[in-house]
Amino acid sequence: MKKKYRNPVGVSKYTGLLLITPFLAGFLLFTLYPFVSSFLLGLTEYDGIRQPEFTGFGNFRKMLGDSSFLNAAAVTLKYTAVLVPLKLIFSLLAALTLNMEIKGIGVYRTIFYIPSILGSNLAVVIMWQFLFTSDGLVNQLLELCGLAPVGWYGDSAHAMGIIVLLRLWEFGSTMIIFLNALRDIPCEYYEAAKVDGCGKIRSFFSITLPLLKNVIFLNLILQVIAAMQEFNAPYMITGGGPLKGTYTLGMLIYDEMFKYREMGYANALSWVMFTLIAAVVAAAFGFTKRHREDI
Amino acid sequence: MKKYILTAAAGCLASLSACGGSRSGFTPPDGTLDKCTLRFSWWGGDDRHEATLSAIELWNEKHPDITIVPEYGGWDGWTEKVGTQLSGGTEPDIMQINYDWLISFSSDGKGFYDLELLTDYLDLTQFDSEVLSFGEVGGVLNGVTVSVSGRGLFYNSETYKHFGAEYPKTWSELIDLGEKFHKEDIYPLDVDIQSGGTAWYLAVVYVQQQTGKQFITIDGELGFTEEDIKAALDFYKKLEDGHVIRTIDMRTDEDGTAALYQSPEFIDGRVAGVLEWGSSVGKYEMTLSEGVLEAGPMLSDDSGKSGGWMIKPSLLYAISRNTKNPDEAAAFMDFMLNDTEAASLLGTTRGIPASRTAEESLEKSGRLTGLAQENDALLEQLDTMTISPYMELAQMKEYYNTAIEKVSYNSADTAEAAHEMYVSITEYLERIRK
Repeated sequence: MKKKYRNPVGVSKYTGLLLITPFLAGFLLFTLYPFVSSFLLGLTEYDGIRQPEFTGFGNFRKMLGDSSFLNAAAVTLKYTAVLVPLKLIFSLLAALTLNMEIKGIGVYRTIFYIPSILGSNLAVVIMWQFLFTSDGLVNQLLELCGLAPVGWYGDSAHAMGIIVLLRLWEFGSTMIIFLNALRDIPCEYYEAAKVDGCGKIRSFFSITLPLLKNVIFLNLILQVIAAMQEFNAPYMITGGGPLKGTYTLGMLIYDEMFKYREMGYANALSWVMFTLIAAVVAAAFGFTKRHREDI
Repeated sequence: MKKYILTAAAGCLASLSACGGSRSGFTPPDGTLDKCTLRFSWWGGDDRHEATLSAIELWNEKHPDITIVPEYGGWDGWTEKVGTQLSGGTEPDIMQINYDWLISFSSDGKGFYDLELLTDYLDLTQFDSEVLSFGEVGGVLNGVTVSVSGRGLFYNSETYKHFGAEYPKTWSELIDLGEKFHKEDIYPLDVDIQSGGTAWYLAVVYVQQQTGKQFITIDGELGFTEEDIKAALDFYKKLEDGHVIRTIDMRTDEDGTAALYQSPEFIDGRVAGVLEWGSSVGKYEMTLSEGVLEAGPMLSDDSGKSGGWMIKPSLLYAISRNTKNPDEAAAFMDFMLNDTEAASLLGTTRGIPASRTAEESLEKSGRLTGLAQENDALLEQLDTMTISPYMELAQMKEYYNTAIEKVSYNSADTAEAAHEMYVSITEYLERIRK
C-alpha cells in the first residue's frame, strides 16, 4: 500500500502564516518598530532620561538654521561624490586585471580581497592613522621620492583624502561583483570582435562596458548608500576635523544622540539622512533609466 | 492597510510613552546584606584600573557572598556608554560618575539613588559638609565625592634640565620659555582640544585671574562678557604664536587623534609640559621614567596675583536608582571610600581621598606622596574657584573647541570667534537651565 504523506503542521489557511511567523516577528520587532519609533521620537524633545516632549516638526525646522547639519550634509555629499566614482573605476580595473587567465590567479584574487575582510576595524584604523602622521610611512616615502611631506590631518581636503584612500583600499567586495559579471560575458563576443579587427580598448568600450551596465548600476547604488552612511573611518581617524572638514552626517547623528543627548533631534536627523539617501538613489535611477536594462 | 499603519504607530507611541520612565522600579533598603552580584563601573588609565581591580579582589575575599563584577575603560566614549545604559535602565549598580553627569542625568535629583537613605552601610560622617554638597542635586544626595582636585602643571624635568630652565611661576615666564625652547623645536607645554579640552581651561584660568570673574557660575550663568571670552582666545593665540604650545594643525599632524600621554612627542620629551587633573596625572607619569614628571608652580601674573585656578570634585561614586541591592551597593561604596586597606591599595589613583579615614590611612603608611599630593598642596595655597558642573557639559566643550580651532586655523579672528561662542553659550545655558 502506498504510504500517504502527512503534513505535520496540517494544511490550513494558517499554515503559511505560521511558517512566516519567525520572520514576521523579527521584522516587526527589529525593523518596523525601530523605524516607526524613530520617526515619532524625531517629533519630540528627548534626553533619554526624562519623558519625551512632543514638539511637532520643530526638530526639522531647527535643521534649516543649524550650521552643523548643513556642513555635515555638504561634507557627506562631497565625500560620496569623490569616493564612489573612484571606487567604481578602481574596482573595475582590478577586476579586469584579475579576470586574466594566468597561473595562480586565485591567490591574487584572495590577496586583493583581504582588505575588505579586515574592514575599518580598530587595528586597521590605528595603522592608517600612523601611516599618515607627519613622520609616518607615507611622508617618509614622499621624502624618499624627493617630494615635500604633506600635513595630512591639518587640511580638510587632505584629511578627507585619507578616509577616501582607506575606503578605496577596501575595494574587494565591489571588485568581486565586477569579476563575476566579467566572467559571465561569453568569450565568443571577444573572439568575433578580434576576427573583425577590433582592438582591446574598442572591445572594452563596445562589449565589456555595455554588458556591465546593470552591474555598474548595482555597485553604484550600493556604494552611494554605504558612503552616505559613513561614520567609522572619520570618527576614528580624524575625529571629524579639521574645522569639521570630515564631519559626516553619521557623526553628527552620533554626537547629537550620545554626546549631547538630543535624542529627538538625532532621530529627526536620521530620517533626513534616510530621505537624502533615498533621493540620491532615486535620482540615480532616473538618470540611468534610458541606459540600463531592468535588473 | 491604513488601519494597520495606524495601529503600528499607536503601538510604538504607547511604548515610547514609557521612555524615560522605563525603569525597573525603586527598591528600598532592607537593612541586611544578602548574597548577590553587583556591577561596578569606572573609567581611567591603567594605574587606576590595576589598583581598583586589586581593591575588588580584596572585597571579594572579605565578602564572598557579594561578588563585584568590574566594568572599566578609558574616558573617551565613556559618557556615551553610561548615558545609553542609564537611558535603557541597564546601568551598573555602582558607578564612578563625572561632576557634570549630575546635571545631565539627574537634573531633578531623581536620576541616581538617594544616598541619605543608605547610611546604615555608607558612612558619610567621614566627609566635610562642603565636600558632600558637591554631590547634591535638588537637595538630594546623588553622589559622594571621591576626591577634590584641580588641574595643575606638570613638566618633564629632563627636558627642562637640558635647557637649564626653571619651571615658570608667571604667565610671562611661561611665554619666555617658548622662545628659548623654540631653538630646538621643543615645546614647554601642551594643551589639547580633545576630550580633555585643556586649551580653553588654561585660557579661562588666565582671564579669571585677571578679572576675578567666574567663567560659569555654579548655577549655570555665564559670568564672562564677550570681551572676556575674546581676551581668553587672544591669550590662547599668544601661546601658539609664542611657540609655547603646538598649533592644532601641528598637533593633529603629529599625533592624529591619539591622546597626548600616548604620543611619541610627549614620551620623547619634545612636548615637555602638560596641564592635567591631579587625580589623573598618573597615566602621564607611567609613560615616562620614574621621577621624570614633576609638578610645577601654579602660574600667577607679574604682580603675584594667583587666583583664578579651579577645583572640583574630580570624581564621585553614585548608586543606580534601579539597583535591586541598595544596601550591598552602599556597603561596597563605603569600602571603596572609607576602608583603610582598600585606601592603601587604591593610593592616589583617584586623587587625594576626600574621606578622612582613607586620607589618614595613606598618611600613616607614607603613601600620601606623589604628583597628586603635590598638586593638591599647591592648589590649597591659592584662592581657588569651584568649577561649575555646567562648564563641563559636552555641548559646552564643543563650543570652546570650535572657537579655539577657528582661532588656531585663522579661519576667524578672536572677536568673531568670541561673539559666536558668547551667543551659543548664552542660548544653550538658558535652554538647559529651564
